[in-house]
Amino acid sequence: MSSLKHKGKGPQAMTANELRDGYSVWLDENLDWTRDYSKSLRTEDQDLIDRMQLKAETDEAKNIVVGTYFIDIESDTGKPARYREKFRVAGPSYDTADLLETK
Amino acid sequence: MYRYDEFDAQLVAERTKQFRGQVERRLAGRLSENEFRPLRLMNGLYLQLHAYMLRVAIPYGTLSSEQFRMLAHLAEKYDRGYGHVTTRQNMQYNWPKLPDVPDMLDDLASVQMHAIQTSGNCIRNVTCDPYAGATAEEIEDPRPMAELIRQWSTLHPEFSFLPRKFKIAVTAAEKDRALIKAHDIGIQIVKNDAGEVGYKIIVGGGLGRTPIIGQTLREYLPKSELLAYLTAALRVYNRYGRRDNKYKARIKILVQETGIEAFREQVEAEYATIDISDIAVSDAERERITSYFASPDFEKLDNDPAELTEALGNNNAFSLWAKNNVADHKADGYAIVNISLKPKELAPGDITAEQMRATADLADKYSFGELRTTHQQNLVLPHVKQADLPALFAALEKVGLATDNINLITDIICCPGMDFCALATARSIPISQAIAERFADPERQRLIGEMQIKISGCINACGHHHVGHIGILGLEKAGVEFYQVKLGGDASEDAAIGKVTGPGFSEEELLDGIENIVELYLVRREEGERFLDTYKRIGMAPFKEVLYA
Ligand code: HEM
Ligand code: SF4
Repeated sequence: MSSLKHKGKGPQAMTANELRDGYSVWLDENLDWTRDYSKSLRTEDQDLIDRMQLKAETDEAKNIVVGTYFIDIESDTGKPARYREKFRVAGPSYDTADLLETK
Repeated sequence: MYRYDEFDAQLVAERTKQFRGQVERRLAGRLSENEFRPLRLMNGLYLQLHAYMLRVAIPYGTLSSEQFRMLAHLAEKYDRGYGHVTTRQNMQYNWPKLPDVPDMLDDLASVQMHAIQTSGNCIRNVTCDPYAGATAEEIEDPRPMAELIRQWSTLHPEFSFLPRKFKIAVTAAEKDRALIKAHDIGIQIVKNDAGEVGYKIIVGGGLGRTPIIGQTLREYLPKSELLAYLTAALRVYNRYGRRDNKYKARIKILVQETGIEAFREQVEAEYATIDISDIAVSDAERERITSYFASPDFEKLDNDPAELTEALGNNNAFSLWAKNNVADHKADGYAIVNISLKPKELAPGDITAEQMRATADLADKYSFGELRTTHQQNLVLPHVKQADLPALFAALEKVGLATDNINLITDIICCPGMDFCALATARSIPISQAIAERFADPERQRLIGEMQIKISGCINACGHHHVGHIGILGLEKAGVEFYQVKLGGDASEDAAIGKVTGPGFSEEELLDGIENIVELYLVRREEGERFLDTYKRIGMAPFKEVLYA
């Protein structure tokens, strides 16, 4: 995936996967990548959105992250609009690893 | 069992070294993601919804205990303590990290394993009847032929960039446990009228968004001509298969659009141009390969030893398990043991590192160090003495591997779905767990009898829902998951694609709907009928009625 120009509706967040560990990450208010979606920057401010785009392109070129793209955010809930993106935020609803950890 | 020759060992070692260099260059930024992506995919490494995923090839589903221990080691050292057995008999890890993958491949290479050709538009890992070499139903062990295809197709220069992926499955029994009619090419070992052993070639089967049952390309192919004939078929596909549209690129679409008669003529015409002697495999070479798969030294034993008959009489849990999970072996006094990876608490096909190790030890103790993975996402110990069955059962119970539901309603095939897969439209694992919960009562499961439920999280159909007696497809609309139901699919030698019942259901409705279907079947079934038989006899309408009641 190349970095998509944002053409979505409403607030936007920028997401990607870490190159090394593969985990899903989002840009936070300092334009650093966070694994914690609750810290992510979600905004309708076009200036910020342009800076997010630039940061994503830069970090993709610097091989920090891969597959950057904007996601639409629901303004009322602050959650991603698309079902799939909600899931990326929540992580697996089931993972055998969780059973092993509680054992 | 087959051991790599020096050629294979060198190839895998070189490939692993090469990939290590590629990963280093990627991490150092000398390769871009666009350059690296095809390289990592060629080595089985995907980027999924939350993380990387590594798919390890298990050629024809056969593993030694040593190899299985290595898979356990990988799960523990580089992943989160478990692996996932897929419907193509491979093993997937859901959480590897990129810098670790070269080490994982090195570890795999140390036991003659790899992840080559588990992705991409090449000939994928050949799958096989998991009872191969153990069942009396087969004409001969199909694995030497599968191994021959593996050698021929590995890094085959002409067939490394096909229009789309290419999957081959083989069996030597009339009873099909390898789903040969839902593969790009399916091969069945058969005898001709003169009693000579050869191959029946099926072509153009597949699941995915356009499910099609394969058709017969050649009724009988002499043994020595296999690779030449496959070459002809793949050449025709390579030449005419569509490259303009990914969704029409599989050979099944080509065969459908060309028509089987015309397609056969094209293959035969191409075949006529091939100098068979160029690529024919000599009897000596075939014998060499076959010798690696020679049966273990079975002892001369009688069927139904006292240890077994006594235990069958005494121990209820054991006898239930033995009746359901154990199949007949070709050698008297031995049995084929199915180990279910469908306990209620784990996702179908998942197995922990601890369980892998335990199974490897049990394979050493009771099954000549050999085990198998199945496309139903279970395991098989192929050669167990009947007298050892009670002890084996007790050992399996200790590690949570004695679930006695093989082929019953809770032995569900299920893809990772939205919980892990980047392509998913809905979750599948929670559905399978809810069904397993709803039908947990072992007596009721037995009352219902053979019932295959198969669940996919999107139209790619990795969970085989098209051929489930009850097939379930997860979809999503406006942020809500819903599930479409198919009835009457069949994954056996009578392969059939199920029919969609109508509009989809919420999870709750789905569970009640399945319950109603099962109830109706129990009321309407006649002596000896499985669900599928009753469905075939009375048709969709009555089931639809209770499903949408
Ligand atoms: C998690 C990563 C996976 C991805 C990205 C993936 C992707 C796909 C895609 C795109 C197709 C359709 C291909 C086509 O028709 O050309 C497909 C089919 C298939 N996959 Fe997967 N899959 C994944 C996992 C699995 C798993 C876990 C299994 C087994 C449990 C599996 C087994 C299959 C099978 C059996 C088919 C369908 C049969 C066919 O038409 O070839 N895949 N997969
Ligand atoms: S069927 Fe769809 S959701 Fe399931 S593993 Fe395949 S691609 Fe993923």
